[in-house]
Amino acid sequence: MNKFSQFLVALAAGLSVFVAAWFFIHAGHRGSVPAHAEVSPAVAAATVKPGGAPVDSAKCILPTDYMRAHHMQVLDKWRKDSVRKGNRTFVNPEGAHFDKSLNTCLGCHGSNPMFCFMCHEYANVKPTCWNCHLSPMEVSQ
Amino acid sequence: MSQNRREFLKKAGLGALAGLGAAAGLFPAFALEPTDSSGFTDAPVPGKVRWGMLVDTRKCLGNCTECIVRCHHDHNVPDFGHTKSEVKWIWKSGYENAFPTASTQFQNPEVLERQVLTLCNHCTEPPCTKACPTEATFKRWDGIVSIDYHRCIGCRFCMAACPYGSRSFNWQDPRPHIKELSNTYPTRMRGVVEKCNFCSERLVKGELPACVVSCAENALTFGDLNDPNSEIRKMLAANETMQRKPELGTLPSVFYII
Ligand code: SF4
Ligand code: SF4
Repeated sequence: MNKFSQFLVALAAGLSVFVAAWFFIHAGHRGSVPAHAEVSPAVAAATVKPGGAPVDSAKCILPTDYMRAHHMQVLDKWRKDSVRKGNRTFVNPEGAHFDKSLNTCLGCHGSNPMFCFMCHEYANVKPTCWNCHLSPMEVSQ
Repeated sequence: MSQNRREFLKKAGLGALAGLGAAAGLFPAFALEPTDSSGFTDAPVPGKVRWGMLVDTRKCLGNCTECIVRCHHDHNVPDFGHTKSEVKWIWKSGYENAFPTASTQFQNPEVLERQVLTLCNHCTEPPCTKACPTEATFKRWDGIVSIDYHRCIGCRFCMAACPYGSRSFNWQDPRPHIKELSNTYPTRMRGVVEKCNFCSERLVKGELPACVVSCAENALTFGDLNDPNSEIRKMLAANETMQRKPELGTLPSVFYII
């Protein structure tokens, strides 16, 4: 094989990885998260409920371009709000309500177990989220 | 642009007049209306709710470990296989270990032999949160003493401060020691402390804690201690109850019927 055909093969292989990555990243949205059983009226009455119906969404909380660049800041803010303040509801500019939880993201993106890893691998970033949080690679969400 | 002195004074006078008018209520003062922020957030009012639990030790008998198994499964609690590095959220203690300062003289021998269910007391005055240098462990708005695992540096000051042994440390990576991963709660990593969280991940969905729903004997009652009409408050009023080491002034939120 000459140099040029080697180059062509490498190019084709690289291209196919990118096409696969693109499909992975844009893989579809899953439906709603199942309703939970055993709801206690007394606990429900004393619990602050998120306004509106969260999680079940066909659209991302914010535009894709924004999320690509800023999802880490969004998650960091969500973590502080929900863990430390108990403020669990995120309202996006269109007025849709979402639960401030990683599960909101995985409600859709969990359908593609590679979603987070593809980009992180490509960008060579090593976030520590999955040291504790269970990724869709480990358990189905 | 030039503006002579007379013109300037005229405008300034008009402005002052408008200000006076607004103050006197002649014009509607839009800018002064208070902002209604009630729609901005659903953050809870701190101290409104105080979650608590009542353990009826008369019903919690024998070798049943249903609640322990369920809790430790749901929260991905690792099993390292030896007591020295044991991680536990809820466990059974001998009566005299659970209530070391309670009088046992001439006590009913059946009571002395009881295995008492013990867990974090979610103290009203928690010594653990005061010891934590990073505020990783903190008292929540609803009385739950929580650990923000993201912030825990593993110094274990809180373990030394807790008078009930409610906290465990992950000396190793817990992941390989979890029998079956549950997607209801994250795991921890090596070097953080963990303990019972009163199932805050279930409460937010309006569900009772996992131990409470798993108990076939209905030995566990959970509810809001600040609500005089809650079931737990009614049961506390109707029964003789105990807290663990009450003399320490930690004001536990876990109560026991003996
Ligand atoms: S029982 Fe221990 S860990 Fe729980 S709140 Fe009280 S002092 Fe803190
Ligand atoms: S071990 Fe973690 S939670 Fe405990 S005192 Fe240290 S930083 Fe705080």
